[in-house]
Amino acid sequence: MSDDIQVLVRGEEKATVIDLVGDVTTFAEEAINQAYQTASANGAQNIIFNFRENDYINSAGIAILIGVVTEARKRDQKLLMTGLSAHFQKIFRMVGLTQYADLHPSVDDALASLNGGR
Amino acid sequence: MSPHSNRVVELRIPSELGYEKIAREAVATVAHRLNFSREKIEDIKTAISEACTNAIRYGSGSDARMKVVVILTADEDKLDILIKDPGASGLPPVGIDIPDISGMVEGKHRLGGMGLYIIRELVDEAGFVEPTDGHEGNQFRMVIYRVDGDDNEPEVSASGIDNGGTPK
Repeated sequence: MSDDIQVLVRGEEKATVIDLVGDVTTFAEEAINQAYQTASANGAQNIIFNFRENDYINSAGIAILIGVVTEARKRDQKLLMTGLSAHFQKIFRMVGLTQYADLHPSVDDALASLNGGR
Repeated sequence: MSPHSNRVVELRIPSELGYEKIAREAVATVAHRLNFSREKIEDIKTAISEACTNAIRYGSGSDARMKVVVILTADEDKLDILIKDPGASGLPPVGIDIPDISGMVEGKHRLGGMGLYIIRELVDEAGFVEPTDGHEGNQFRMVIYRVDGDDNEPEVSASGIDNGGTPK
């Protein structure tokens, strides 16, 4: 019973946005890693993982994101995360993921932070 | 649900990742009927997802021929959740470690191993219990108590981000 996730990579002026539409579980590993590698291959220095607020994220999905953090640190990339519900913001803080990725309500807010605003 | 009722919902789900979402939806319905707050319902959904995922992955080796049994017992002041698996991987872990994310990021520890910790942080009681019904395998129990005001909390939103003061 696999779950589909759509992962889209798009470029903004200051960052590459990876939109995650669907459940972030073990089934998302290949799609997320592939999107991250695509962004990196395009020279991204700032990467925004944009979640959809009501989707399901479990600890296997969080582990995938920690794997991305590991790679991003090696490449000196900045990670930002947006669109998380208050519940998953709490979970991400709980496991310590917010030490490595800034949380913002929206992509616009994250982009503004890269411009020195908000 | 009447104040002094005691309702039991029992699910048997295939031991295959993805089916934990059925337990997740079922417990949300039960918790909603108990008037748990929206945020507490989210906590319970995440906790049961993690517990069922463990039961599927470790307790029955992701063998879809096996079943994971989920028993939700709702009463006046609490929701009691029991998850039974066949115990395919032997004895369950004794303790619950705090995940060392920096160790994972530095490659010192394997990725994962966060499920039990997340559960413990989200519910009032959690742990493996000795089977009392002749069940051969593991039984994991969680209890979530209702407190005054549970049904009066405002809705949560995605705004108001707090990065914990420890950005990169």
